[in-house]
Amino acid sequence: MRVLVIDPDPARAALVAEGLEGIKPLEVRQATIFDEREVAEFAPDVVVIASDSPDRDTLESLREASHNNPRPVVMFVDRSEPGLAEQAVRAGVAAYIVDGLAPSRVRPILDVAMSRFALTQQLRGDLAKAKADLESRKTVERAKGLLMKERGLDEDGAYRLLRKLAMDKGRPIGAIAADLLAFAGILRGDAS
Amino acid sequence: MSGLVELRLGFIPLTDCAPIVAAKALGFFEEEGLDVTLSREVSWATIRDKVTVGALDGAHMLAPMALASTLGAGGGEAVPMIAPLALNLNGSAVTVSVALAKMLREIDPEGMAQNPITARPLARLIERRRESGEAQLTFAVVFTYSMHAYALRYWMAEAGIDPDRDVRLVVTPPPRMVEQLQSGGVDGFCVGAPWNAVAVLEGLGEVLIRASEFWPGSPDKVFGLKADWAQAYPDEVRALLRALIRASIWADDPVNRPELIDLLARPEHVGASAEAIGRALENEITFHAGAAGRPRREHALWFLSQMARWGQVGSKPDFDAIADAVYRPDLFRAAAASLGPVLDATLVFEDVSMTPSAALFDGVTFDPTDVAAYASRFSIGRLTL
Repeated sequence: MRVLVIDPDPARAALVAEGLEGIKPLEVRQATIFDEREVAEFAPDVVVIASDSPDRDTLESLREASHNNPRPVVMFVDRSEPGLAEQAVRAGVAAYIVDGLAPSRVRPILDVAMSRFALTQQLRGDLAKAKADLESRKTVERAKGLLMKERGLDEDGAYRLLRKLAMDKGRPIGAIAADLLAFAGILRGDAS
Repeated sequence: MSGLVELRLGFIPLTDCAPIVAAKALGFFEEEGLDVTLSREVSWATIRDKVTVGALDGAHMLAPMALASTLGAGGGEAVPMIAPLALNLNGSAVTVSVALAKMLREIDPEGMAQNPITARPLARLIERRRESGEAQLTFAVVFTYSMHAYALRYWMAEAGIDPDRDVRLVVTPPPRMVEQLQSGGVDGFCVGAPWNAVAVLEGLGEVLIRASEFWPGSPDKVFGLKADWAQAYPDEVRALLRALIRASIWADDPVNRPELIDLLARPEHVGASAEAIGRALENEITFHAGAAGRPRREHALWFLSQMARWGQVGSKPDFDAIADAVYRPDLFRAAAASLGPVLDATLVFEDVSMTPSAALFDGVTFDPTDVAAYASRFSIGRLTL
């Protein structure tokens, strides 16, 4: 079986392709965009496409224009597995199969795609959070420095003051530090 | 917790997403007690699927898509949708590459000097290319069930071109249209704003006919919802419509145009140049004036006539019943009338008594009382009724 993964996000496509090698598909190819010639040449049995790929509508149109195209595809809707199509849509994956292929053969492929999409999202989320944490730590350091200079506090005292403000306001310490720096900027005339 | 009703709405980066984007940016949804999250999508199929499974509560939709989904056209699952608001009239256009425009001008200078330009010069060129064994020309639309597809097909067939046989008709996503025109992947297309203007401003394309010339007051996008969701949440639907109607009024007002263009140009919305976006807003797209927001059943019936003409609906459907199930002017009217304290209701209906033009550019009048007869009057078509 040949599986084509179309995903504008090459890292995610690579993850999906790698996951698919663990199951039965014979050949897996990945592409960032849909290219009709390339697809005709590869002749996939299944096309897995990310729903954030603008090429989805092109692929979708092939099922209406099958007389013009040698590779008719139909959207995967398997009523014997209620909720699967919904799960896939929510995960951001769509699958198209060539006419004649049993929908049950797509199930494991779709499962891999969905789990890899979720994994990518989680990794990206972790990365964004790590970046934000780092940014917030830098902000806190700068706010501490400002308090030490302006209020004559030592480092520990500056941190305790920030923490107290954060607790009083019920906001993260990074946000309080950012506000403090912004207001200090305004007082210095940065925003005038 | 904001205490507001949380809803998710989808849109495609096109100028006519304006009412949805503006209602959010101006706080109209919030004033209606709605906490709306916008989701920028890049394909119509994804919009349809997300609305179908409830990942989106409502969306910017191609008007015929709501009808096609309800009918289960093209082998898809039949999912009833409703269109209680038309987001805009006009805005799309047929654009060809500068190279093709040059060839058309050489073969038929008189035809190309007409206004609007018919497909007759194109028909002559196609004939000559066939005689000399040249490859078919490729034209792109954005979706099979779209005003763009039906307008391009109608315009071609009016000049004797069979869009299924004499050209290669493909689907290309709007943001890829211009690069395809540049690379020669397509020779022409019918797409919504701002992409025609982008092609013209980049010196790659030439507009042959605009939607407003093809059919004055051309229907285009609607705000679409899943029918069973709308039935279960009537208050939310009304609140959404009220916010969107107010945003449409705001978007029409020339005073707000710089702010609207600025809003749409942002990368999280349309992400095209302000100049390109501004073009179609000038004397082309209407969001609200003349009761543009009212979903008119004659528009639904025209779309159904074209779906029938091109063989997209099989056995003879009950056109009137489908149009009335999908197009819901009653919901529009109720929401608009309820805006009374905020908005003078007469504004909403000011020229509602005016019948929209029923004649297309070829002078043929659409008769909504006999869709089947209209659909079968054309010599080029795939009618299977």
